This record gives sequence, C-alpha cells and structure tokens, in this order.
Amino acid sequence: MAVVDRQFPPASNETGVSLRLRKFTRKYLIAYLFVSVPVIWSIVFLLIPMFVSLLWSFTSYDGLHPAQLVGLQNYIELFRDPIFIHSLKNTTIFALLGMSIGPTLGLLTALMLNQKVRFQALFRTAYFMPVMTSMVVVATIWIMLYNRSGIFNTVLGFVGVGPIGWLSDPNWALFSVIIASIWQGFGFETVVYLAALQNIPKELYEAAIMDGASPIQSFWNITLPSLRAVMLFIYIYGIIGSYQVFDQVYVMTQGGGGPIYRTHTLVFYLFRKFQDLRLGYASAIAYVLFIILLIFSYLQWRYFSEKE
Amino acid sequence: MVAHRKPLRSYWRRGVLYLALICSSVIMFFPFYWSVTTAMKLEQNIYVTPPQWWPDPATIRPYIVVLTTIPFPRFFLNSLFVASMITLGHVFFDTLAAYAFAKLRFPGRNPILFLMLMGLMVPMQVNLIPMYRIMAIFHWLDTYAALIIPSLTSITGIFLMRQFMQSVPDEILDSARIDGCSEFGVFWRIMFPLSLPGIATLVIITFMNAWNDFLWPRIVTSSAKMFTLPVGLTQLQFKYTSNEGQVMAGTVLVMLPMILVFLIMQRQFIESLTAGAVKG
Repeated sequence: MAVVDRQFPPASNETGVSLRLRKFTRKYLIAYLFVSVPVIWSIVFLLIPMFVSLLWSFTSYDGLHPAQLVGLQNYIELFRDPIFIHSLKNTTIFALLGMSIGPTLGLLTALMLNQKVRFQALFRTAYFMPVMTSMVVVATIWIMLYNRSGIFNTVLGFVGVGPIGWLSDPNWALFSVIIASIWQGFGFETVVYLAALQNIPKELYEAAIMDGASPIQSFWNITLPSLRAVMLFIYIYGIIGSYQVFDQVYVMTQGGGGPIYRTHTLVFYLFRKFQDLRLGYASAIAYVLFIILLIFSYLQWRYFSEKE
Repeated sequence: MVAHRKPLRSYWRRGVLYLALICSSVIMFFPFYWSVTTAMKLEQNIYVTPPQWWPDPATIRPYIVVLTTIPFPRFFLNSLFVASMITLGHVFFDTLAAYAFAKLRFPGRNPILFLMLMGLMVPMQVNLIPMYRIMAIFHWLDTYAALIIPSLTSITGIFLMRQFMQSVPDEILDSARIDGCSEFGVFWRIMFPLSLPGIATLVIITFMNAWNDFLWPRIVTSSAKMFTLPVGLTQLQFKYTSNEGQVMAGTVLVMLPMILVFLIMQRQFIESLTAGAVKG
C-alpha cells in the first residue's frame, strides 16, 4: 500500500485540476492556435460590428456626440422617407429584373455551348471576360457607351430612333444600369450551367430518345431537374448579391444616385447617410437590408428543399 | 425526301446556332474593343457621326497624360500590394483553420463552425459603419492596415479549404504523426502540399475580389497616395478630367493586368470561380 501511495500520491483537488488543465492544453492548444486568428477576426470584424450596428440603429448616433436612444424612431422614419422607399423599390426592381434575365441568358448560352460547337472555349471566354473585370471598370466603359452622343445613340440614330438619355432620363436610368450589370455578370451563370450540363449522364438523353421523347420533353424532364441544385445556388447568391448592389450605381451616376433618385439603391442610400453622418439612421438601413436578405435565403431554401 | 430533309434542317439549326453565338460574342466583346480604341482617338474624334470604328489617327497621348498627371503607377502598386497581402493572409490563416476544422478534434469545434456558418449570412454592408469606427479607433484610416487587415481571412475561404481537406485520408496524416511530425509539421509538410489545387482556387478568388473591391477601399482611403486602382479610376473621371480618351486610357490600365492573367490561366480561373457552385 505504501508503495502504491508513493507512486500515486493522493492528489489534492488543485493539482488534479491543474494537471487536467495541462493535459487538456497540451492536447488541444495547437488546434485552438490554428483557429485563433479567424475566430478573433470573426469576433472583432463580424460579431461586434453586427451588434454595434443593431444598437446604433436604435439611436441618433452621429459620430460626434454620444448616442441617444431613440427607440424605433429611425425605422419609423425610414418607412416615411420617400428616398428610402425609392431605394427599396429600385433595389427590388434591380434584383428581380436582373435575376429573371441574367440567369436565363446564362442558361441559353450554356445550352448553345453544350451543342458540341467548335471554338467553345473562345465563346466561353467572350461571355466570361466581363465577370473578371472590376465593376468600376465596366461601369466606366458603359458611361461612355451610354453618352448622349455615344455609340448606342449613334447606332440607334441610323435607324431613326433616339437619342435616348440612357443615364439622364429618369425612365431609363435604372434600366441602363441593369443592362450593364447583366452584361457584366451573366457569363458567370453561363460557365456554371455549362459545367452542370456536362455533368448530366448522356445515357439519360439516349434513353429518352429511345422512348420517343422530343428534345423539348428531354429538356423539361431531364435537363431542368438535373440543374436544380445549381439553380438554387445561382438564384440565392444572385438575389443576395443584387440586393447589395453599389459599385455600378455609384460610378454610373458619378456618386449622385441618378435623376430624381431613380438609381438610388439600399447600399447607395446607406452610403449617403453614412457620409451625412446620420450613422444611426444608416444602421437602420443596414438592418432592413439584412432582414430582407435573411428572408430571401430562408424562402429559397424552403422552396427548394420542399421540391426535393 | 425524308432522308433529304433532315440534314437540311440540321444545317439550318447549326447555322442559327453559330450566328447566335457569334452575335452574342461580338456584343460581349464590343465594350472592351470600344474602350481600347477610344483611348487611342483624338479628343475631337471620340463622339463623331459616323463613329470612328478604328482610331484615325491613333495616339497614345491619353495614356501619357493619365500616367503623368495622376499617380496611376502608385494606385497600381497599392492594388498589387494590398491584393497580394490579403491573398497571403488567406492562404495562411484559412488553410490553417480549415485544417483544424477538418482534421483535428477539439472541444467547441462544432459550435465554432456553426457560428461561422451563421456569420456567412451577415452581409459586409451591415458592418460597414461600425467597421469604419473600429478603423478610426485603431488609427488605421487611410493606411494599408485598413485596406488589408479586415480582409486577411474569410469564412468562405475556410469552408472552401475545409471541404477540400476533408477528402484527404486520415491515414496519411496519422503515419506522419507516428513518424514524429509535430501537428504544425503535419499541416505544413503533408496537408499544405496535398491541398495545392484547392489553394490555387483560393488564391484566384481572393486575389480577384481584392483587386476589384471598391466600396471598402473607397470608404477607408482619403488621400491619393492610398487609393487602389478602382478608387483611383473613379477619382480620375469624377475629379481630374472630362476627356473620355483619358478616362478610357485609365480604364484600360486598370483592366489590362487582370485580363492578361485571366487569358493565360483561363481554365483555372473558370474552374475556381465556379468551384462553389458545382460542388454545392
């Protein structure tokens, strides 16, 4: 017994804890070290700002004076603010129109490229090159194309139309921004759809032809269902990305937001209020945007998982 | 008759298909062509009817003006430095964390992962204003720190790498551990080299996003010596010149490096940028 006692001294509670702590540390320290930077980063640049932003949205904070709690006043003011309503409406039009045309063009071009065409890589490059290009560059180029005496109006003039005030006419400004955005972005959907189309087993189509299915029937019954997962991705990220639109709006209106607020978007208005130092109000805009995006991802996940 | 009609119809179909492909490619390519050629036209020839489809006479003056009147080379170096640093940060921190999340067991792993997944839902714009304040508190505004440090790692990058690393069999790692490799050694000598294809994807996505980023650099920089290329380009057209040739020269200078790299490594670019979509 004495020998045993010497080998395993009855540990006091304290040393037991510290021993276990040491063992724990030795075993896991390295893993915690590996994840430490991203975890700290998430806390400082994600979690804290997120809560601070929420808190500020209930205050009249202006960056200079101490924040005053004002309850829901910012949110109430938002929905009475015609410029905010404009921004919300424009952003929604931008997202809905962009997302109904862009991915459709992407699918069409992907279907064309999937027809064993020659120079497939070359055509794919043509569609994809704008995706690589900075939105600021794209917007700058399109300002020139949209100029009152620019190439679009010149060509339209040949057939006796126009000139159109692409970016200055309140009825056109938003659509002009949308057209340029679709041109910039749909190549991404082209290559995503093309990769997905190439993954569909050929046997499915062969079997369908044997059964006497027309190409249109094959498309509805084989192609579209096989693309469901990819579509989920494209539409969720597309809508979320569209609601965050800023660069092209800012650049194409030279920081002004378009004729009579016609190209104001949520993030643009947020940026404006940030510049005006209405930080509490801007935070409320940020949270409205946040909630819209959460609803969209929830709705779309629900829709697609029900269909599965 | 029947045997005759079918090939004819399919010729028509092929013809229409190629016509559509060629027309759409021309539409896609035209704005690039027009910006490059406009940058080589004399100012009075830019907006003329009929349009000059080819610059005549051609000039490189707009490029010279842009490169000498505003610090474009400086913007370029800023962009290159910032995007490189951010990419390096991602390659190191994202892969290290991804390795821990994919292959190491530690208490709290799954809750942390879950919280990070939630963090993916938070759009950057929601955090914009508090982030600006944090930069001000650290005295980082208008310095490289503000441009680089908030982008040094990302949850998307960690999840991308984690997905990649999960497919590496545990046996390889265990045999390295038995040979006396430290945990960092296992990561650095075994996992990192095995993950190089995934890291290439990470590098391409990160570098491109950093190079093209606009809103954040626009907000945290205020002096020309800190501008990145996209911010510098907007300043060029908002403040410095109303000469469309010069603006287009600036545009070409901003987009050229990215397009050249893209044309050289096209396949990797397309695979990288669609990686998330096709797997997910």
